[in-house]
Amino acid sequence: MLAIKELTAGYGQLRVLHGVSMHVGKGEAVAIVGANGAGKTTLVNAVCGLGPVTQGRVIKDDVDLTSDAAHRRGRHGIAVVLENRRLFGEMTVQENLRLAEEHGRAYRSANLQFTWQRICELFPLIAERRRTRIELLSGGQQQMVAIARALLLQPDLLILDEPSTGLAPKIVKEILHVLRGLRSEGMGILLIEQNVGVAVEITDRAYVMALGRIVHEAAGTEWQTFLNDERLAAAYLGKASAGI
Amino acid sequence: MNVGLLAQSLLAGITNGLTYALIGIGLAAIFKGSRVPNAMQGEFSVVGAIVVVLLLTGHGWPYWLAILCGGLSGAILGAFIEVAFIRYMIRNAAPEDSYLLLTIGIGLSISAAVLYFFGRESHLLPGFGSDNLYIILDAVVREHVIWLIAISILLTIGLRQFYRTTSVGLKMMAASIDPVGAASIGIDVTLMRTFTFMLGGALGAAAGILITPIIPVDYMIGLQLTLKGFAAAILGGLTNPLGAAIGGLVLGIIEAMAIVGVSSSYKDVITFSLLILIMIAMPQGLLGRAGRTGG
Repeated sequence: MLAIKELTAGYGQLRVLHGVSMHVGKGEAVAIVGANGAGKTTLVNAVCGLGPVTQGRVIKDDVDLTSDAAHRRGRHGIAVVLENRRLFGEMTVQENLRLAEEHGRAYRSANLQFTWQRICELFPLIAERRRTRIELLSGGQQQMVAIARALLLQPDLLILDEPSTGLAPKIVKEILHVLRGLRSEGMGILLIEQNVGVAVEITDRAYVMALGRIVHEAAGTEWQTFLNDERLAAAYLGKASAGI
Repeated sequence: MNVGLLAQSLLAGITNGLTYALIGIGLAAIFKGSRVPNAMQGEFSVVGAIVVVLLLTGHGWPYWLAILCGGLSGAILGAFIEVAFIRYMIRNAAPEDSYLLLTIGIGLSISAAVLYFFGRESHLLPGFGSDNLYIILDAVVREHVIWLIAISILLTIGLRQFYRTTSVGLKMMAASIDPVGAASIGIDVTLMRTFTFMLGGALGAAAGILITPIIPVDYMIGLQLTLKGFAAAILGGLTNPLGAAIGGLVLGIIEAMAIVGVSSSYKDVITFSLLILIMIAMPQGLLGRAGRTGG
């Protein structure tokens, strides 16, 4: 469904990604893990058209999106929950969601998978707080709105950049529960996480990134027991992350 | 001081203040939408007013149609500036101060163009409605002043509604709050910035058209209007277009009271001294918000 081929990206003279290739199959949940500065967020930005790409291609369902503007990519079924959520703090929950409703695949399709009703079932808080300004919500609540907003683009691939950062374990659990549910319905998930413990829970395969390259691919049992293998974890994630 | 004089100057203050407000609102809308401090906002007013003068007196168009075209000319000029200059500068990551230089340059060019094509003469437009005079609290009021007050208030309320309830307005606001977040949910941020400049241009032109029946327009007035608009916008909180409305009113009224209480020669000194004091006490402006935090 999503294929990234030999992607090179950077800012000015600085090269951050060096020929990254990876793929996410239809309905598959894949993680990208790596220490700080590995280039994970640069990769997300390149896939979503939010950052520069010097070489390589981003292909979704056989369509080359590399030169497409960021705001057009949602139409191909990609939705992203960016790091720090990037909600519009001065606006209400409802206004934030309404903005997404008009775009993405909803733009073309009459048959919507994620309706208001469905979103409110997934996140009961949204129905309760829909007139509340985003800046008055807690971090966890904001994360839920951010996921809801991405889902209203009616994607078949949901990209999440560090969704668990800074959130209480209880909230992370709730969010994982929702993501697991989406997965079982066939939603493709690309999860960027520093916290391997979280990533292992909902993905079945992972790419390990270090210094702008994919240095290892783990699947099946190797991925599920990734954290137990001290050598792997320490080598790729650094000591601090390996201790999670 | 008698009641009549006080009412008369208060009214003059409100009238001028609302014009400053409209220029300030346009300026704040553009600043909020693009972070460009637009030092040529007053030129939108000059262009709007000149277009109406030209169509009305030069070509004999009906007044309402000329006014509509005047407003439109501001929007078109706004779009042109964004598409021709701002867009490329943003793409090439131009530093913030270069936008100030750009807009000062455009402002001076427009002023020079007006001088070249229309000369040094100043032009007045006829008042809206009839030339009737009304007495309110011993103050004599032209009918146009009532129109000016009503239209300015309607435009301010309309703008608020536009940002809060329409789809385009919400998108423009979203693109200004967080361009990256907006692009990630499918909003065309560049297009929204063009719309912002069109809106700012139309508001500037509206201000020019509304004030030209009272203050004649000439090639030099743009800079003065820009300065008053800046003062209104900064006083109200530069990123809050509605704050600029209140800022403009406060500015107009202080100015009018300075004329009555001291002397018209000192009005700018008194007004700007007071503004400095207000800004020291409330650096974010009357309705401004403290700096935004990420996340």
